[in-house]
Formats: sequence, C-alpha cells, structure tokens
Amino acid sequence: MTEDRDFDIGIIGGGPAGSTMASYLARAGLSCAVFEGEIFPREHVGESLVPATTPVLLQTGAMPKVEAEGFPLKYGAAWTSAETRPVDHNGFTGLTHDFRSAEILFGERDQPGVDRDYTFHVDRGKFDQVLLKHAESLGAAVFEGVRVSSVDFADPDRPVMRCRLGYRTVEVPVGMVVDASGRRTVLGTQLKVKESDPVFNQYAIHSWFDGFDRKVLAVDKAKADYIFIHFLPITDTWVWQIPITDTITSVGVVTQKKRFAASKSDREKFFWDTLASRPELLDAVKNSEQLRPFKSEGDYSYAMRQICGDGFVLIGDAARFVDPIFSSGVSVALNSARIAAGDIIAAAEAGDFRKQRFHTYESMLRRGVRNWYEFISIYYRLNILFTAFVQDPRYRLDVLKMLQGDVYEDEEPQALAEMRTIVKAVEEDPTHLWHKYLGNLRAPSAAPGF
Amino acid sequence: MNRAEVQTEIEEFVRVQLLDGDHSAELTATSPLLEWGVLNSMNIARLLTFIRERFGVNVPPRHIVGANFRDLGSVADLTVSLADSAA
Repeated sequence: MTEDRDFDIGIIGGGPAGSTMASYLARAGLSCAVFEGEIFPREHVGESLVPATTPVLLQTGAMPKVEAEGFPLKYGAAWTSAETRPVDHNGFTGLTHDFRSAEILFGERDQPGVDRDYTFHVDRGKFDQVLLKHAESLGAAVFEGVRVSSVDFADPDRPVMRCRLGYRTVEVPVGMVVDASGRRTVLGTQLKVKESDPVFNQYAIHSWFDGFDRKVLAVDKAKADYIFIHFLPITDTWVWQIPITDTITSVGVVTQKKRFAASKSDREKFFWDTLASRPELLDAVKNSEQLRPFKSEGDYSYAMRQICGDGFVLIGDAARFVDPIFSSGVSVALNSARIAAGDIIAAAEAGDFRKQRFHTYESMLRRGVRNWYEFISIYYRLNILFTAFVQDPRYRLDVLKMLQGDVYEDEEPQALAEMRTIVKAVEEDPTHLWHKYLGNLRAPSAAPGF
Repeated sequence: MNRAEVQTEIEEFVRVQLLDGDHSAELTATSPLLEWGVLNSMNIARLLTFIRERFGVNVPPRHIVGANFRDLGSVADLTVSLADSAA
C-alpha cells in the first residue's frame, strides 16, 4: 500500500462475491476493504447452491463455518414437467406418471476440488453474514451500512470511491476497485456498459412458506429435499421449491415479464393464479403459512460490454446475470471472485492494476458464462431435450457437469453442440414430434456477450 | 435384423416401461400411440434410448416425425430400415 491510498483494493458490496474476494485478498496479505450498503443479516434471493461452490469455500477456509450453520444438504436436483395436456389415454392408467421428468445426483460425477457429494440450500441472510465475518476474521476491513455511490476514475492508478455515510460523502482512495454490488451494478451503470438481455426478460415473485409439504410433487419421496423445478403448463414459466429449514420452504414463480404485465393483476394475485395451473402444488402452498411478504425481481438478465478496465473488475451479479434456473448465482459469485482474485493478486505484486492484468479472468468468465447461457437457452427452447439428454448415458455426465457449475476450465461441452443440432432440426421441421414443444424464448445466435 | 422380433421387443418395452404393465386396453401393431398420448414428448425420448441400447440404432432427429411413431408397426419399420442402412 502506498501512502496516498487507504487500501490496495476497495470492494463494493459484501455479498458472497465481495466477501469471497476479500477473503482471497486478505489471505494473500493485501489490504482490502468491503463497503456494504446494508446491515447484515438481510434477506436475499438465490438460496440454492451448486457443487462448484465447494472448492472455493474450502480454499477461503469458510467451509467449516458454513457447515456449522446446519443448512439443509443438497444432494441433487429434480425437475417435474407440466406434461398434462388434455390427451385421450384410451383407458391406460399407467400414464399417470406424466409429472416425472428428471432427477440428478451430484455424486454421480467426480468434480475436481469437490470432496463431498452434496452442496447446500441456504438462508442467504445467515450464509452471506458467515462469509462476510469470515473475510473480516482474515483481516479484511468491513464497513456495513456504508453505500458506495460512485467511483472517480480521473486518475486510473488511484480510483477514489465515494461512500455515503449518513448525510455525508466520504472519499476513499484505493489502488483498484472490485465491483461486487450485485444487481445494483454500480460500475456497470456508472460506466454505461450494461445491456439488458432482450431474450431472458423474466420476472420472479417469491416468498417463504412454513409447513409446506415438500413431498407432494416428489416422485421419489426420499428426494424431497432436492431443489425442485416445477414446470407449469404455461409457456416458459416455472416454480422453484428450495428447502430452507426442516419446515420452511422458499417458493418462487419465474415467468416472462410481458406475461406478468399483460395479466394486469397485482403480484400477489399473479403468484396464486399462476400456481393454480398445477393444482396439487397450489394446494400444498395454500396449506402452509406464508412467513414473509412477497418480493419480486424484475430487470432480469443483463450483460456488461466490459467486465474489467484500468483500475477495476466486475464480479458476480455485478458482471452478469443470467436466468437462475440452474441455481448458478452464488456459484458465479464465488468462482468469479476466485478467478479474478488470482489476477488481482498478481497485479498487486507487479504494482500495476491496468486492464491487461485481468485478461485471464475476462476470458475464463466469458467462456463459463457462454456455456451457461447456451445451455439455459436450449433448456427454455426445447425442455424435452434436457430430459432426453439427462436420461441418455452418452450425455448424462456432460449435462451433470454443467449442472454442477463446472463450466470455467474447458471449451464447449459435447452435449451442447449435439443439443444445438437437434434444436435446429426440430425448429425446421413442423412435422417433428417435438416441434409443438418448442418454447417461446429464442436466443439469437449473437447472444449478448460482454 | 428380424422385423417381427424387433416389433415384439418394442411392444414389450412400451407395455412394461411406458404403460407400467397396464393391460386395461389392448395394445396392437396399429394402436395409435400418438393419438392416445402414450408417446408423449418424454416417452418418445425414453423409447429412443431403448432403441439405441437394445438394437444399437441411433434415430437421427429428422426422423422423429409422426409417420414414424404413429404405431408399433411404424416404429419397428423405422428401426429396421435405419439398422439396414447403417449395415
């Protein structure tokens, strides 16, 4: 640290991305400070993790503290389909298992750096606080209730963070800035590099429910503590079911924003009306006690034209947000922090925080997010393909690898290329038996990159 | 590849795996599987996996059309013709 800087690295936001970054930097002996606008604990959406978080939690040393919280263990994921179109089954009663769709166990595939066959469902209020306190215990300075409003980059070697402290603005000069401000996207907005995604213009509404019977839609009752994704017989609309404690379950509806806008109803009514398309699900939720007011998330998916520059790096949701159907949020937060921290530590040793120092991070995150994005696009475009591939021994592990969040190290998975070919064949042939199952969401081939 | 045997095995798969052994309706070579909803999107995927694993036949995506999955007879025809063309 030089004399004219308060810290080597200033971090905007104390969520999982910011606190993980602070942990890596503090362990490397760098001086860093986290500025978090809220006072923890606070509520946050994004409660289900994938196993790609495990190596990061082990590296930062936070894992024993996370384990000590006793969060529900997540061994796998299950999808139930809405294949309930009115068809004449001609007396066949064996077709009642139309609901079943797909189930995966994380333990089916060995993953580098992952030493256990489960990950967690978490109360983000507690989880985020554990990670932030861990960063502090390693030597990072943590300021809660202090919101960064903007950063002055007039001198790229000495950015100045403007922090709101009550009615005053305090200027904090640093060596470089890491934006981990989440969906607030402080730097992305300030630098005007944010682009909304025209395809995944989704909208979510969610709450916590006590006493919800998680077994209602589980085909295998022993797997009731998996995350469940229930597809509704409404195009491009699904429901998440995430265990938070033994009795509390997080339930959220994700739909296209235009569908919500067209309904002209209040969000509460929209939630219940949408659930009603799966009556057994509606009953289960109605028979439980709602613990929190509904919260909604709009302004859904976006990308940044730039995720690093002279004196700054964007990580986690501040860098990119893609539809959360595969529980990628916390994993992208932790892994982008891990990868970027490597570049930042090297940059600090060289005494140079200019853009070219962050090249490894930029290319790895791009690659990971590109794979994710295409996988998610195909999932929405032709849901049945996902089910078919999960059941196909040739592709199951490849798909599982993506579901584990293991997307940063390699080039494109083979299953993705194969899926793309099939989607094209189905799109071009109206007589194809899967043609009628095509969803409305259609990602342009030039999906926004950053 | 013996067409009659192929059809018998596919019929057995449909009856046991897709219909859970349900005998409440008669399944014949010409039962309209698509109209009855026996071959819904997911069951087609399961049937394709069975055909690949049992007969070593990959059904290319362009062949997944109504004419080839109308009934047991047409599924058997498709399987045999793809096996012959690959041989």
